[in-house]
Amino acid sequence: MDNDLVLWIVVATALAFDFTNGFHDTANAVATSISTRAMAPRVAVTLAAILNFVGAFLSLQVAATIASGIVEADMITLAIVFAGLIGAIFWNLLTWYFGLPSSSSHALIGGVVGAAFAAEGPDAVIRDGLIEKVAIPAVMAPILAFIVAGTGILVTYRIVGRLRPSTVSRSYRLGQIISGSLFSLSHGTNDAQKTMGIIFLALVANGNLTTSDDIPTWVVVSAATAIALGTYVGGWRIIKTMGSRIIKMDPAQGFSAQGSGAAVILAASHAGFPLSTTHVISGGIMGAGAAKRVSAVRWGVAGNIVVAWVLTLPAAALVGALTYLVVHLFGDGAAGPVVVSAVLLIALGVAMARRVFQGQTLTAEG
Amino acid sequence: MALASIDIGLLFEVVWASALAGAVVSVLFALVVLFGARSAETRRAGHGTVSMAYGVAAVISFAAFMGLVVYAVHLMLSKG
Repeated sequence: MDNDLVLWIVVATALAFDFTNGFHDTANAVATSISTRAMAPRVAVTLAAILNFVGAFLSLQVAATIASGIVEADMITLAIVFAGLIGAIFWNLLTWYFGLPSSSSHALIGGVVGAAFAAEGPDAVIRDGLIEKVAIPAVMAPILAFIVAGTGILVTYRIVGRLRPSTVSRSYRLGQIISGSLFSLSHGTNDAQKTMGIIFLALVANGNLTTSDDIPTWVVVSAATAIALGTYVGGWRIIKTMGSRIIKMDPAQGFSAQGSGAAVILAASHAGFPLSTTHVISGGIMGAGAAKRVSAVRWGVAGNIVVAWVLTLPAAALVGALTYLVVHLFGDGAAGPVVVSAVLLIALGVAMARRVFQGQTLTAEG
Repeated sequence: MALASIDIGLLFEVVWASALAGAVVSVLFALVVLFGARSAETRRAGHGTVSMAYGVAAVISFAAFMGLVVYAVHLMLSKG
């Protein structure tokens, strides 16, 4: 009974993380399309939500472990997973509040690393894995995307530079619908699987399933629905940052950032080296802007984003560790997760109620 | 010790594959726009044959671009 309660709290927390993952990463697919007016904002997020939902069903290659190769798998418990999720949700909400794009995957890894460290000590963390799977991709992704998108836009201007600007803009707006759709589909096939993996692991740990079982349909449907709903709600603050605060982009630059970004993500993924969608598209936007004119990039905004990336892992780890310690205070039963969840739900409810009473929309659209 | 575990060959593969894929995407779509615009211009100028040639080039470029998109979707679905 106690274990079942912990299990369902972990499932609900995983779906809450999936929701924040959706609205946090909406910007990756739609920000450039919205800012260049390739699509109306609501149309863009609706299309992104549908493609995220579809993507979640297309690829069921669910990761059987979270933070695989970074945390010792046999040391992970439901309490560690719960605390790690809270760390990741905290970081996603904080960076959304400040309109800063950051990697939800790195936040999740950070949360789990912090919770595992608090539970089992430094032996639980595989340092080589952290460098290989987090640090190097985090440095490489934006630089690579910056160069590829920058080169892409220079080649593009060279080829279409003598055409009428209105023709070029109209064509690239159409191209952005294709590149944005690819991004959304890619996001759905990747990120919903993380949540499915977490729920699957929780069910295995609780004895409801074995590792050889197929993933239950309700897990797939709920994870797909949570990420699609999050995407539909839209993290408008981040969309605004990525769409208009880093550079003022034209449709060709928007296409270059997205098209080159998609190419980088898929080429790297195919080579067995997955990169963060957020890092790639942010680097791509900066590259597409800097190639036209270095001063076109608002480097102050870009610097804030890089600071958020650097802080993602330690901040989520710190919150994950603190959450684990609080949960652990209440023993091994369900009391800890229940208390932490109740406190966080009340805090979230108060924050939302304040926004509603102040007459603001919950996600600050526009 | 940690740095020794980095596969330099893999990193190099990621760099060149990404650069190549990004360049091909940009060039192909730019050619679609260029040939499409030239086709419309020459048609308006009354050069039917030249317009058709540009039109065919635009269609071929677009087919190649969409081929890349389909391959990208295939990669997404077949990842292990």
